[in-house]
Amino acid sequence: MKIDWAALGIVAIVSIVATLVFVALLSGGIRYISQATVAANQSHSSVGVRTVGYAFIGLAGLVVLFGIWLIVPQLH
Amino acid sequence: MSLLFVVITVIVVALIFDFTNGFHDSANAMAGPIATGALKPRTAAIVLAGLVGAIVWNLLTWLLGLPSSSSHALFGGLIGAVMVGAGLASVNYSVIVSKVLLPAIVAPLVAGFAAAAATALAYRITKRTPSKHSESGFKYGQAFTASMVALAHGTSDGQKTMGVITLVLIVSGFQASGTGPQPWVVLAAGLAIGLGTYSGGWRIMRTLGKGIVEIETPQGAASGAATTATILASAHLGFGLSTTQVASGSILGSGLGRGATIRWGVARRMAVAWLLTLPGAAIVGGLSALLADHGVAGVIALLALLAVACTVIWRISRRNQITMDNVTDAADVVVLATVPPSDTYPNDPRLAAQAGRQKAKSKRKKYKSAA
Repeated sequence: MKIDWAALGIVAIVSIVATLVFVALLSGGIRYISQATVAANQSHSSVGVRTVGYAFIGLAGLVVLFGIWLIVPQLH
Repeated sequence: MSLLFVVITVIVVALIFDFTNGFHDSANAMAGPIATGALKPRTAAIVLAGLVGAIVWNLLTWLLGLPSSSSHALFGGLIGAVMVGAGLASVNYSVIVSKVLLPAIVAPLVAGFAAAAATALAYRITKRTPSKHSESGFKYGQAFTASMVALAHGTSDGQKTMGVITLVLIVSGFQASGTGPQPWVVLAAGLAIGLGTYSGGWRIMRTLGKGIVEIETPQGAASGAATTATILASAHLGFGLSTTQVASGSILGSGLGRGATIRWGVARRMAVAWLLTLPGAAIVGGLSALLADHGVAGVIALLALLAVACTVIWRISRRNQITMDNVTDAADVVVLATVPPSDTYPNDPRLAAQAGRQKAKSKRKKYKSAA
């Protein structure tokens, strides 16, 4: 019986890394956008922090788009 | 004539399977655990028997609210039907172990681990974020990852039914071999799975969404991401696996990552259903193959039995309907009601009618005692 352990290992690593990267970017975005909102409520400057927050969310979106591009053969 | 009849029957029954698959939410690429070369003339009848086994098993586990794998039901049904219809030697057991059984164990574990780590990470990063903000932020994240799960589900699951229909069309000579699925097959399979999810998914959602562990929004976002990543990564590398099993693994893992109380009893019941799915569907598929082998009369008898089984299961499910309105009211899916519906499903539409009946009853009682 031939079992492709290497492929199973790749699946495991890719799944775990992709999940962690996506969730870290999403959580970071939520954290900084919230920080900016709190700062704005106290009438501090918040533009920089908010930009960082949205950049995180944008990166999370890019990760997803990259994943979709990888799995759809018609796009290559 | 009789071949055309069987082919049409297979298409219809395959779409019914797709519909019950939508009930379940599961995934698996149609791998080739079955050596089809030896059984070309009777493939259609055997595929039909396998589908019947898969449908009956899908409906039974759906009735119990158990998120068992439709993919495994289909594999089990086909394996059972092939064993009976073409002999034990026609099944490629090595492929079953390496492409079906092993990924079925590994994938939920991987997804569970990914979800646990991601949930812990999400809570850590947003530790100082006001919960009002993190909750609403992760709510968008959760909605997004849920739609990604649906994408992963559709990409791998719709193909399973399309594969079965196309296989039968090709071996019966209605389609040139080596060509892809016809557009109408793609369309019909997509419609059937969508309709099934829309009409029957609530029962499973209760078990997954409430039964195992209460889900908070960061957890939902993390487990959705884990499910999507695991399914797409493994489908891309040639492992077909069950969305159901992976999603259950991630939800359980995300609960562990948050340190929430897990209802292990529910998890255990689900694991038992998974273990039983292959042999259970195989037995039904094998019995169906005995009938389907007897020409048109056998096929008609099989269809009649399938219709009876579906009707009975559907009628039992009506006793405790689960809909969009009451899906999150309770954690358990009750099958044979011994609990009054008011305790389990406060929003059940039938309650109003029942309350009316009870009033009438108590009035009658009063009359009696007065007399």
